[in-house]
Amino acid sequence: MDGLSYVGKSVPRKDGPAKVSGRAEYTVDVSLPGMLCGKVLRSPHPHARIVSIDTGKAERLRGVKAVVTAKDSLKIKHGFVQTGRYPADQYPIAIDRVRHVGEEIAGVAATDESIADEALSLIRVEYDLLPAVFDPEEAMKPGAPEIHPSHPKVEEPYRNIGGKTQTSWGDVEKAFEQSYLVREDRFVTQIRTHAYMEPQAIVASFDHSGKLNVWLSSMGIFLKRAKLANTLGLPYGNVRVLKTYVGGAFGGKVDLFNHEYIASLLSMKCHLPVRIVYSREEVFKGARHAQPLIVELKTGVARDGTILAHQVRTINDSGAYRGSGVVVIFLAWGFLMAPYRIPNLRYEGYSVYTNNLVRCPQRGHGAPAMRFAVESQFDMIAEQLNMDPLEMRFKNARRPGDILPNGDSLKSFGLVRCLEEVARRTNFVEKHRKAEQERKNGSRIKRGAGIGTCSYFGGSLVYPNSSSVIVKLNDDGGISLVTGAVDMGQGAETVLSQIVAEEMSVPVEDIQVCAADTETTTVDIGSWISGLTWVTGNAAKKAAENAMKKLLQVAAEELDADPADLEAKNKEIFVKHAPHRKISYKDAIAASIAKKRGDSIIGEGHFRTMKDERAHPSLATTHGRWSENYSSYAQVAEVEVDTETGVMKVLKVTTAHDCGFPFNPMLVEGQIDGQVSMGQGHTLSEEVLEDRGSVINPSFLEYRIPCATDMVETDYVDVITEEYRKGQHYDTKEVGEGYVAGTIAAVANALYNAAGVRLNRTPFYPSRILEALERTAPVGQVQDHTDGCVRE
Amino acid sequence: MEKRSKRLIWLTVNDQEYEIATYPNRTLLEVLREDLAMKGTKEACDDGVCGACTVLLDGSPVRSCLLLAVEVQGRKITTIEGLSSGEKLHPIQQAFLDHGAVQCGYCTPGMVLTAKALFDVKAKPTEEEILTAISGNFCRCTGYNKIVKAVRSVAAAGQGGR
Repeated sequence: MDGLSYVGKSVPRKDGPAKVSGRAEYTVDVSLPGMLCGKVLRSPHPHARIVSIDTGKAERLRGVKAVVTAKDSLKIKHGFVQTGRYPADQYPIAIDRVRHVGEEIAGVAATDESIADEALSLIRVEYDLLPAVFDPEEAMKPGAPEIHPSHPKVEEPYRNIGGKTQTSWGDVEKAFEQSYLVREDRFVTQIRTHAYMEPQAIVASFDHSGKLNVWLSSMGIFLKRAKLANTLGLPYGNVRVLKTYVGGAFGGKVDLFNHEYIASLLSMKCHLPVRIVYSREEVFKGARHAQPLIVELKTGVARDGTILAHQVRTINDSGAYRGSGVVVIFLAWGFLMAPYRIPNLRYEGYSVYTNNLVRCPQRGHGAPAMRFAVESQFDMIAEQLNMDPLEMRFKNARRPGDILPNGDSLKSFGLVRCLEEVARRTNFVEKHRKAEQERKNGSRIKRGAGIGTCSYFGGSLVYPNSSSVIVKLNDDGGISLVTGAVDMGQGAETVLSQIVAEEMSVPVEDIQVCAADTETTTVDIGSWISGLTWVTGNAAKKAAENAMKKLLQVAAEELDADPADLEAKNKEIFVKHAPHRKISYKDAIAASIAKKRGDSIIGEGHFRTMKDERAHPSLATTHGRWSENYSSYAQVAEVEVDTETGVMKVLKVTTAHDCGFPFNPMLVEGQIDGQVSMGQGHTLSEEVLEDRGSVINPSFLEYRIPCATDMVETDYVDVITEEYRKGQHYDTKEVGEGYVAGTIAAVANALYNAAGVRLNRTPFYPSRILEALERTAPVGQVQDHTDGCVRE
Repeated sequence: MEKRSKRLIWLTVNDQEYEIATYPNRTLLEVLREDLAMKGTKEACDDGVCGACTVLLDGSPVRSCLLLAVEVQGRKITTIEGLSSGEKLHPIQQAFLDHGAVQCGYCTPGMVLTAKALFDVKAKPTEEEILTAISGNFCRCTGYNKIVKAVRSVAAAGQGGR
């Protein structure tokens, strides 16, 4: 990567000074004259018919400026997925039925919070209670209460099926017959939540020109605009989402949420700005949490550890509406098939409606559950085969150039190198073997190491499918970078600035970023499918090239030279072999304006991936290409288990990562650290507890995320598989999501290595570890839910 | 509902005295954010757990969501807005930038102030003292690694003090 000045360097964040000095404006900080406090009335029941709603008293309360119910709405449904097969299934405000505790029934806007609260208490709703069901496997049973009719294309006699993903290749039955060993295990992952620090927040202000201005905490403004416009019946141009910084999202701020619709509707009704900000309790009780998943995994291997077949069934509890449930069962297939070769597969995933809160993506979206299952079972199989777990992974890892069953190419796949590097860096094989031996000694504290891998897609085709970027030159040679990208902490503004700086030979400090405004900036794919650096980055690169071409053309005319002989450096253009012949950007821009009919030099760039594909692959059949770039990584976790208390600590996680090319190593490390920490929380302590559909631990006191004294030491190895060259298209890969999965898998395997207990259900509470230790018969025996059998 | 009446209070924030008419049940956090428009102090949990609303009260870190504004009259309050002088960042703020300790930035003001309070009592804290000091400030983005690195660098340079 020689010759690069800005890309590939740990450039400090563009938004850093504003953030450290407390001046960065988040949605919760937006304040407008006359702004009202908005509040949402929610269902206390998991399943009920609404017989009547009486808002009269609330409307008459002094200080109340608007009350809205479904009567004020156009009754247009929305959904995380809106396709022919999976049409929208949720009203943005309940009409005649509620399907989960917390479902939005009405909204009020008042001059202050206490009046808004009082107004909510004055709304009378009469309910007719319906039977409810909370467990997805119960909800599937033929006699279960019907929340929505099962999808018409699902043939099984199950109830409440929101959608199904089904795919297969090869001959699974035959492969199992030929297998030396076949195992079946069942893994269950809990409901986790994002715990973004900034709560859900929106300010909506409908102005007198008929335009709805909204500030909201989101991951992609163009998706929010489209869904608001569709449900409110407004032209897209009449909905303007304005920029705010986002106080964390992790998957939890994608899609349209009903409170955002309600705030908008309230503002449209009273023509005053309305602000809705959730309390933390409301985030826990009313916002969407991550998708829990059951994974039933049957695997057949040859005597040498080669996978011959997988048969997999996943069951997702999507909550009361489809949410991202039909996506997670598709993605779980993807995260199963990407890292290792699978010659024969049968996969079935069910997304099941229950009377729980609606679920949404969270960092990794299916990968944590699937990799936890596969990697745990890998180690169980390796032990039964008396194989080293690393060797088994080498045997099955996909190689660069492999073509996946869906046609995607793993052209630069770095998994094997990641495995080699992480094992070398951590001395894994020896550590693992040593821990196995020491497990048998009588010490109370056990240490162990475990390995996990993952592979992740990037930049798939999801609305709005592409990114555009504009680069405007200012009179003095400085640059304004115009992008619709949302920086939610990952560093989008910084990385895009680095790319433009590199292409235009301008210091990063001379680039001003104008971002995340649907009216004044350009369409952007969004910060939620791990493709921003690639998709928006290539658009930024093209925009910069486009501007540079114009600038060089002017300079060539002014210097009487061929554009090909020119070089740019630090806002000056000079003739390569006669550097004294030069012109500053400032003078070149002035010349362009003077002599080129006023062209002040504006560059535009556009980029989309999967150019030969019309759309995202089928969620139901998996047919179609998914991604052009697959990241990969191998992680080793080192843990300590107190066998008397059952308390496990994650001491260190080492990551060998193939993210293509690290554009900003400091930001890459930051992403990995955050995921290791989130993975640690998910594995050890975090769980949203629901009782009859109601969240019973709705605070940070009861939902415990890692704090500084839980900090895990992290180490990294770069496995660089792509290149960045000035003036050329580049490929790069995900780095912000899947490491949660690798961490969870590695920690699960490290627990077994340390203490000889295998848990098939997360989180690993001390009580569960203790219970498993008590059950532990001879070391190495397979734990519950398994029936490993060996065929000779 | 019983009619409440406002009370006149005097607060000293970032060495500046303010006269504010406010209800006696308002928290320091609410008054800072809404009456004084100092939005750098953040609210994230309303329970005094997460530390996002940390300000310094006579130099000690406190949760401004757990204090009533009327209680802190006559005390010296420091918010994130009072830490840097003009455009020049405090060395702790600069270290957070240099070491990549900021991602979404929502916890940053509280985290920086907690670190400031630590340095005010001890110029060269140990690793354990750093971890303990900031353990009441949640960060979901960074895993704390780069925050600790930033604080450590300030300690090494001996720049954290007043």
